[in-house]
Amino acid sequence: MFTRVVIAEAVKSLRIYFFSSRTLFWALALPLGNGLYFYFLYLPFAARSINFEFGQTSFSLDLVGFTLVGQLLYTFFTMMLLAGAAFESERWQGTLESVLLSPANRIAVLFGGALANALNYLWMLIGLTLSWVVFVHVNVVIRDVLALFASLALSYLAIVAVGMCLEALFIYSRRGALYVATLQEPMMFLSGQIFPLSSMPRFLLPLSYLLPLTFGLVAVRLTMLGGATMSDVAIPLSVLVVMTLGFLLLAKLLVNYAERRAKARATLTQF
Amino acid sequence: MVAHALRVIAATAKYNLIMTWRFFSWSGFALRFFSPIMTLGAAWVLYNFVYNSTLSPEFQTAVGSSGYMSFITVGNAFYVFVFAAAFVVGRVFFWERATGTIEATFMTPMSRLAYLSGVMAAAATTSLIDFTAVFVLGSAFGFQISSFNGVLFFSSLLLTSIGLFGIGLITNAVTLTFRDRTTTANSLMILFMVFAGLVCPIEFMPSWAQVISTFLPLTYGVRLMRASLLGTQSIDLIQNIVALIVLGAFYVVIGSVTLRMIERNLKKKALFSVF
Repeated sequence: MFTRVVIAEAVKSLRIYFFSSRTLFWALALPLGNGLYFYFLYLPFAARSINFEFGQTSFSLDLVGFTLVGQLLYTFFTMMLLAGAAFESERWQGTLESVLLSPANRIAVLFGGALANALNYLWMLIGLTLSWVVFVHVNVVIRDVLALFASLALSYLAIVAVGMCLEALFIYSRRGALYVATLQEPMMFLSGQIFPLSSMPRFLLPLSYLLPLTFGLVAVRLTMLGGATMSDVAIPLSVLVVMTLGFLLLAKLLVNYAERRAKARATLTQF
Repeated sequence: MVAHALRVIAATAKYNLIMTWRFFSWSGFALRFFSPIMTLGAAWVLYNFVYNSTLSPEFQTAVGSSGYMSFITVGNAFYVFVFAAAFVVGRVFFWERATGTIEATFMTPMSRLAYLSGVMAAAATTSLIDFTAVFVLGSAFGFQISSFNGVLFFSSLLLTSIGLFGIGLITNAVTLTFRDRTTTANSLMILFMVFAGLVCPIEFMPSWAQVISTFLPLTYGVRLMRASLLGTQSIDLIQNIVALIVLGAFYVVIGSVTLRMIERNLKKKALFSVF
């Protein structure tokens, strides 16, 4: 039952998203534009590489690659946050009450949306990486494919789990979309997407360590650009595993609470 | 004709201002400044901590004597203005369609340009608050006005608004034609932002990006605004003003013609609401 709901929701979301082949072009243009925006932010500076310290090791990463990986993961992160807007869309279409009346598992519904977004993301990941390698000459250094795969997969799972937690906001408040959109910028700043964590003001670091995006960025950047192996990224990968489990549990509790509260107050549709 | 157009502009602007401020909340207002604070904060960290204030020698040559944070603040304030003003105009007909009022709107005899001008006027009025606030925020990060040329400052805002209005018309035409929601409009806006030289001098960009930037009114607008606030020595003012006027006129003409053609086509095929 759980799997069927996930697949049905994923198929539905994909069909809604790809109503036209033009969607592919614009969905690619948006993250490419964001990536270039941040890349251009570095151009006034003299250096063309960035010093990336993690643990006892220091990696000198290609600036273009640093920006690209940051943008790729951040785009994925925002897509997952937007996957959280599944219930918001249902509310818009006037179908939220029907969905929440059905016996479909709420987490499965969210997983379905997240799966569809992940599939959308996959071709974007490949397309963007290839275009940056060809046109902007990103210097990719991969020594351990398994470590890279583990970094991507665990980042994905942890980010999905956070997206599900934020889903509760969409049910709970009429300003859910505003809150989630607003959270994107601080998360981008705190995660080290634009600059390495070693340059982050110390008092902000505890907040950075609460975000799975932070550890995802460390792991993917090191394995994709710095040639790091599984042992180099064992710590961020372990943290991602713990975060995935923790946020999934939290998501279940929050979504159930928000749904119960909205039903009790009859605010699922009118609020 | 002109009096009627002015009435449409005034009525639309009034209606939009009421809509904007009716549900005003301080929390929502404050949250709007997260984005500029984060961009300024990121630039500040990059400048002070990552690169220890070491700018490329060409930066001084390209932008004159202005400091990096002043350069970024002006670009960011401009971005906020553009986003708040042009972005609203670009999605007018999407929202008309979404709220089920598009057919009624297009049945009225009012000028479409006047209607969209009214929306632009309201959005620009509101966005001026954000625009000013970014300068205030920027001063906390090191923004300093080295010389102020009021005529040039307001001219750059006005002329850029005309160009943005033209782009808004085109965006509306695209949104009406393709039945996507806001992807096209959002993506177009982002692409415009990227190549306008908001965060780095145009001369630093790859040559293909520089070619794109020459077709954007924002490129000249932000350059003039920087000149009005940070000094006028390093750019040819007349050349930039002429380019801004020509591009503004070009986009308005193209946008209005395209919009008219698309409206006629959609009416013929009865595709306004159901398609």
